[in-house]
Amino acid sequence: MLLEVPTDIPKEALQRLLVALADDELVLGHRDSEWTGHSPILEEDIAFSNIAQDEIGHALLWFTINEQLGGKSPDWMGFERNWKHFTCCHFTAFPKGDFAYTVVRQYLFDVGEQVRLKNLSTSSFPPLKEAAEKIIMEEGYHLMHSQSLVERLGDATEESHKRMQAAIDTAFPQALGMFEELTGEDELVKAGVFSGNEPLKEQWLEIVVPALTSASLELPVEKKNGKFTIDAKAEEGGRKGWQKEHLKQLVEDLQTVYKMSPGGSW
Amino acid sequence: MDTQWETYEVFHQTKRGDPHVHVGAVHAPDPHMALQMARDQFARRMKCASIWVVRTKDVARTDYQDETFFAQILDKSYRDPKAFEAPDKGEH
Repeated sequence: MLLEVPTDIPKEALQRLLVALADDELVLGHRDSEWTGHSPILEEDIAFSNIAQDEIGHALLWFTINEQLGGKSPDWMGFERNWKHFTCCHFTAFPKGDFAYTVVRQYLFDVGEQVRLKNLSTSSFPPLKEAAEKIIMEEGYHLMHSQSLVERLGDATEESHKRMQAAIDTAFPQALGMFEELTGEDELVKAGVFSGNEPLKEQWLEIVVPALTSASLELPVEKKNGKFTIDAKAEEGGRKGWQKEHLKQLVEDLQTVYKMSPGGSW
Repeated sequence: MDTQWETYEVFHQTKRGDPHVHVGAVHAPDPHMALQMARDQFARRMKCASIWVVRTKDVARTDYQDETFFAQILDKSYRDPKAFEAPDKGEH
């Protein structure tokens, strides 16, 4: 079934947005799944496996809308596409690191998703709006989980604080890459598809800065006269498909079984 | 050294009004996290209306070795309500 796109919405840019959303979920979901069997606590093992499945489910929703706009099938996008054509932000693709990095990345991502989904749930493109309303229900729980861990680990012990601060120092500039401008974004904003990445970044900062500060963690951010100034270089390029080697490894892992028996089913 | 967190007993309720039933235990650093862990272990696939968690060490328990606590030595069958038919269980 093909969806009709209102004439004022640029279809190509809309698909670019959908694939970027899906790729972030698919790739971070894969990283989360790497904790299965390796988490420091049995319950967190199950929690991260659960989150991984949820994220990949969200990727499927976005890929399905993309397919209905004339794009390739979700399976093709996940299992046959060359890694160089992924448009996830680098942030979601970096190796899983230690548990502190995993928790911090998940938290920064979950808040990013929260503001993005809230924004998309007022989208002028109904399928996008409906999917966002569904996903936001599950993401609320993800955020509660990662936020609880950040609040506790930020100043639990000297060791936990040290690791969490190191994780923030690494993850924060990477996380800014979530808000890299998409090609054709202006037209999407004009057509009311979403509000654009810059305002989303501001909303994200309004949440993460006070929350991390109250967890005794420091950020390279200052707020003056109601405006944030960031003393860090955003890790960008992912949205343009300038991917790094660790994504190549990830995509190879992701596609291994599929490629052993292309077209197979079970 | 035991590096795991302490355990919480988990009680699961399928729908409002049903009893909370003991389903197992989770490791957690505090009650709030215990609820989140319990949700992931016991409420993800099972239908769930409510969950209780109780710190395992706060549960007072009997001792399996103590033979006198539940002992019934003398014949007490005269106390059993055997002499009349119970009416059908009413809806309540």
